[in-house]
Amino acid sequence: MTQKDPGGFLPLHNNWFHILLSLVGTEQHGYGIMQEVLERTSGAVRIWPATLYGTLQRLITDGLIEESDERPVAELDDARRRYYRLTRLGRKVLDLECRRLQEMIRMVQRKRRQEAY
Amino acid sequence: MNRRLHFCLTLYRRLASAYPHEFRMLYGEDLDRLGEDAVPEVWRRHGLRGLLRLLADIAVQLPVMYLREIRQDVTYALRVLAKSPGFTSVAILSLAVGIGMCCTVLSEIQPLVGPPPGVRDPARLVTFWWSTASYPYFERYRDEHQVVAAATAVLGPVPFAVAFAGDRSARAERFYGQLVSPEYFSTLGVTPAAGRFFSPETEKPGMPPVVVVSDRFWRTRLAADPYAVGRRLRLNGLMATIVGIGPKGFQGIWPGYTADLFVPATCDASVAPELTGDPLNRYDREIFRVVLRLAPGVTMPIAEATINTITRNLDREYGVPSGRDGKGRMLRLMPAGTFLYITPEQHAFVNAFNVVLWALVLSLVCVNLANLLLARGSQRRREIAIRLSVGASRPRLIRQFLTESVLLSFAGGVAGIVLAYGITRVMSSLPVPSPSPLEFNCQLDFRVLALTLAIALAAGVGFGLMPALSSARVDIGPTLKDGSQAPLRGYRRFGSRNLFVVCQMAVSLMLLVVTWFVAAGFLNTTRLDVGFETGNLILMSLDPARDGYSAERTSALVAALPDEVSRVDGVRSMTLAGSVPFASLTSDRANTRVASQTGDGSGGQVLHSAFRDFIGANYFATLGIPLLAGREFDGRDQWQDEPGPQAAVPAILNQTAARELFGGENPIGGRIREDERAYTVVGLTRDVPSGFLVTRPIATVFLPLTTEWFRKNPAARATILLRATTTRSTLASVRNRLASLHPDLTVFDVRTMREDLDRLNSFVEWQAAIYITLGMFALLLACLGLGGVTVYAVARRRKEIGIRMALGARSRQVQALVLKEGTALLMAGSVLGLGGAFAIAHAFAAFSDTLARTFAMRPNNPALVFSAPLVLAGLATLACYLPARRATEIDPMAALREE
Repeated sequence: MTQKDPGGFLPLHNNWFHILLSLVGTEQHGYGIMQEVLERTSGAVRIWPATLYGTLQRLITDGLIEESDERPVAELDDARRRYYRLTRLGRKVLDLECRRLQEMIRMVQRKRRQEAY
Repeated sequence: MNRRLHFCLTLYRRLASAYPHEFRMLYGEDLDRLGEDAVPEVWRRHGLRGLLRLLADIAVQLPVMYLREIRQDVTYALRVLAKSPGFTSVAILSLAVGIGMCCTVLSEIQPLVGPPPGVRDPARLVTFWWSTASYPYFERYRDEHQVVAAATAVLGPVPFAVAFAGDRSARAERFYGQLVSPEYFSTLGVTPAAGRFFSPETEKPGMPPVVVVSDRFWRTRLAADPYAVGRRLRLNGLMATIVGIGPKGFQGIWPGYTADLFVPATCDASVAPELTGDPLNRYDREIFRVVLRLAPGVTMPIAEATINTITRNLDREYGVPSGRDGKGRMLRLMPAGTFLYITPEQHAFVNAFNVVLWALVLSLVCVNLANLLLARGSQRRREIAIRLSVGASRPRLIRQFLTESVLLSFAGGVAGIVLAYGITRVMSSLPVPSPSPLEFNCQLDFRVLALTLAIALAAGVGFGLMPALSSARVDIGPTLKDGSQAPLRGYRRFGSRNLFVVCQMAVSLMLLVVTWFVAAGFLNTTRLDVGFETGNLILMSLDPARDGYSAERTSALVAALPDEVSRVDGVRSMTLAGSVPFASLTSDRANTRVASQTGDGSGGQVLHSAFRDFIGANYFATLGIPLLAGREFDGRDQWQDEPGPQAAVPAILNQTAARELFGGENPIGGRIREDERAYTVVGLTRDVPSGFLVTRPIATVFLPLTTEWFRKNPAARATILLRATTTRSTLASVRNRLASLHPDLTVFDVRTMREDLDRLNSFVEWQAAIYITLGMFALLLACLGLGGVTVYAVARRRKEIGIRMALGARSRQVQALVLKEGTALLMAGSVLGLGGAFAIAHAFAAFSDTLARTFAMRPNNPALVFSAPLVLAGLATLACYLPARRATEIDPMAALREE
């Protein structure tokens, strides 16, 4: 199978970016992702359920995330929930997007400094 | 949980449950669980607005999910179709050819049977069948308001020499137009694109010449000049003002004879020589075609009865002879705006024939498509079973099949439209054989196209659904084990596929036989012996009146021409003619009534229909048609002064006319009468076929082309026929000679007789080619259908054949086993098809001359009858034989090991 070019996914859609970011270093189920995004953005970004699962499906199809086999301890687990984690490709895409955003912020800051003079 | 939350959650679950099956299999439970968590949390944070936003999200995402699945289906279907290029190309090609042919068959006939474009409510427009009327008669018909809502008189096509500059020396071009009564445009319900049209108030005798030009003329000749209205053109040497421009697409009431100029019939005869002799006030100048718009609720028979009553009253009033039986003239009406003179019955026949042809082709295409899709469905059962076993839903599989068949139908439809468009373009660009400006403007009929496409699409969807439904009911276990050889649930030995093949064979054979009969008829026509030598025979036309010649100058010109032209080097003989033999497909028709006269002066045998032709001296010698008795016209007959009414003018009869007028007696010296004129028969010539599609020889009376005739018919054009030693150099010499002697005379339509006949031949051959292509198409589809079924049967019986061969069956026995089934289908289809074909051909032969002629040849020509079925049988057997031979190549070990 041909390796997908991570650069081809940029710029990332807002929802994609938030979902990938919420899966960094952790495995999450749908509700967890929704809550994490909500808290991280102080309620500014809410990914609604149907949009969330539509996006998760696309991310899985494109190979940016995958379903995790690992489950939490039995008392915390809900059998109906599925857990997701980042793939290597997803991680690369997210890094590239972060770098792109940082570069843009730097550009804005440079422009502002020029303006101040 | 409060009621609002409960209601919201119920609604959420309902919407979530409507998500696509495969999505629900993966995320359904998660989505439900997330809803249960999110609803109270959203209520807490955002209240009612939040709940509404939550519901809106799930509702909006629902169609998105389905669209995503459809996109996947389409991508998958494209991949699947690309993997079987044979199947895909055959299906698309057969649909394309079918749709293309269907649309052409019905669109082609539209310019022939009308109605013309741009006319309001054409169904209520009628005209006289094979009959013209005088202007006073027309005025009486027009004023019969209880039956006739409006009426107009039309004379045309009429040539005009048009010069765009006012200068007299400006070179004139020839355009065709119509001389029309002022009510023309209002009767047809046509409104001007610019300026005004004619009306009885504005167009009165003695008014300055005016003209309405067509949209095409305005665009191509006036460069779409926005100030064209008010501009002046020189028409036949006189200045005329453009008062209006016709609407787009409107070219007059007769669709074939397109008109670019419309001049009121009230104009002066100097603008249009056709109007010489005050035809507007002469009851005996029956030169106008009358178009009536029937009053609401009036049917054609009622109008016919009223018109006949008025005609008989007028005949009595003017003392017009009322025919031999004394019952008076009987006029028949037909729909106006048709290319041909056709009765309502013929109109219905032409429509019915083409609709039957259309239906046959279309049903053949549909049956073939059904066969292909069914065969393919049965081959894909293992794939379906695998998809079902890994969780695909049955509706999704059905949708997948539907997507494939819709894609096929769509691709076939698009290709069909392109093909139909191409064929109609070629048809329109073919030169139509006719002495007048005939245009066969074949355009794609979009209603026909839409209907054909809809049926083809419906067939695609319907027949795509059938294998999908049966395959989706498949038992997964046995199918996975046996693959495509597992029987379908409810499969019978003579299943729907075999039924379809029998239908396909039958319909193919019907189509093949009918098209073969029509094509054979057409091709017979092209092999017709014209009856005279056509080599080195040159034709050229003159129209002195439109070059500004007076009647006297014309007479002098025509008197001098034979001598002038005969002196040119290379001219062996030369003659003049009023009409050209074989100028069109059906050029000659009865145009007079002639009676033989006995010695005592009383009337003898009355011949109602005869063709009267005016010819010059040495006509038969120039054409090379030998006279059977008597002599042909010479200079004495030609240039005599106008004889008195009792003086006998010489006439020459053809064999048919002589037989009908004089029975077995020698006609030479006999006398005949045409109205009040008497003629003495001086010669007898043999029958020469009078037209391309005219099967019977027509009784023809040849009269001398006299100076008197030119005086009486100032608008007539004459054709010079000359037999040369070499065509090209003689032609140039004659043209030079004419140009030096008569510099203001335009010589046009210069061609050889061979070219004229080739033009006719190519038109007829094109018609035949269309029918032959249709027949070939039927043949191809039949073979494909039968071949497909046999391939399928062989695949299904692979194991059985393997066992038989392992037990010692020989190749021949295996072949016979496979061929038996195909031959049975072939026989059943042939019997049905042959019966149907003869029923159709017999029914239509009653109406169609071409079909009748072929049909009449049937008893003497067994090849004609049996060639089509034999070719079909041969090719179909081959289509069975090839898979049968492949069946013998089955390796028994491999076939058995596959299990």
